[in-house]
Amino acid sequence: MNGKALVLASGEVARARAGDTEALESLYHAFATPVYNLGRRICGNEEDAEDVLQDTFLEVCRSIAKFRGDGSLWGWVRQVAVSKALLLLRRERGRRVRGFEGDRFLRDGPGTPPPEPSAPIDLETALNRLSPLSRAVLWLHDVEGYTHEEVGELMGKTASFSKSRLARAHQNLREWLR
Amino acid sequence: MARVRHLEVAELLALRDGEGTAFARAHVETCTACRGELERLYRVRAELRALPTISPPRELWPRVAAAVRQRRLRRRIAFGTSALAVAAVLLGLVVLRGPSAGVAQRGGDVWVAEAASQDLGPVISRSRQLESLLEAYRPTYKVYDAPTALAVSVLEDRIVLLDRMLAESRAIGADRQLLRGLWGERVEALETLVGLELVYEGRVVQEGRVWR
Repeated sequence: MNGKALVLASGEVARARAGDTEALESLYHAFATPVYNLGRRICGNEEDAEDVLQDTFLEVCRSIAKFRGDGSLWGWVRQVAVSKALLLLRRERGRRVRGFEGDRFLRDGPGTPPPEPSAPIDLETALNRLSPLSRAVLWLHDVEGYTHEEVGELMGKTASFSKSRLARAHQNLREWLR
Repeated sequence: MARVRHLEVAELLALRDGEGTAFARAHVETCTACRGELERLYRVRAELRALPTISPPRELWPRVAAAVRQRRLRRRIAFGTSALAVAAVLLGLVVLRGPSAGVAQRGGDVWVAEAASQDLGPVISRSRQLESLLEAYRPTYKVYDAPTALAVSVLEDRIVLLDRMLAESRAIGADRQLLRGLWGERVEALETLVGLELVYEGRVVQEGRVWR
């Protein structure tokens, strides 16, 4: 997990499932950083990452009673967070496609403008310069460890889509990080 | 002399992920350039995983908690409204069947009588109207900025308290003036809530940001 260690007192999850507000708050504080980090890396900006964090925990508070406990809690929370982040990207993308019909670059939504050929940039800056979809695929596959099939499914696409996006993302990184 | 075909990024990524073809595996054994590229892909992945963790810049739990409380309150109100509707239907059935069965429906009877009375009817009707307005302004979840969340939360607590006081006042057979006062306070709180929603909606649209 990319984030600080989680510490939950025993019985906290059971209390959270029963709707105990203090236990839900503990859950929030245990997972807020990794969820925010995930949102920040996938969406590429602070504002959207806050939305991901907020939407994720609204969903967690609403649905935790349905968490069966047969997988890891972080796995479940992360799944919710990824869905919220991708939903946000889809909304953003929809807005851009409606606003800039016909511009192929914007169809995927832009990252930050590409750097000048000679300007050296670090990995973090390069990551933010990827298009949102490429960045999401790269992060989910290379860092979070989702398979191409899983990434494709999460995005309503195919495994091939995920593979080609990942290849494109690495080509861009290679070019920018020379 | 035949030109060497170097591996595509997709082929190198497949190799890195343990899914490469036999051709690709054999090729990197002999091609320094492609082996260098493969090593670079391993390195980039390791560096991505080692990027520093970014913590949330501010505490968002109060917003989340306020939204969760609102949702619970709305569910309680919805449940209460449904229960009253059921009571009203049952009461209607009782009236149709005759007065002998009426005793069991005393709670619903009292409430329906209150809503139909000249002194309480208008204020109860206004209260319902405001609740419908609030429902219209609020999607399933809505998260406010901290000052609005606090104000909303105080008002909602006040409404819950007033509802309890109304129920207890009915139970002890309190006089009509007290009931009228409580209903009046409930309407005032609801009016303030609706006002807050209107101001907040106007503000978030102005700022170009809507908290869901």
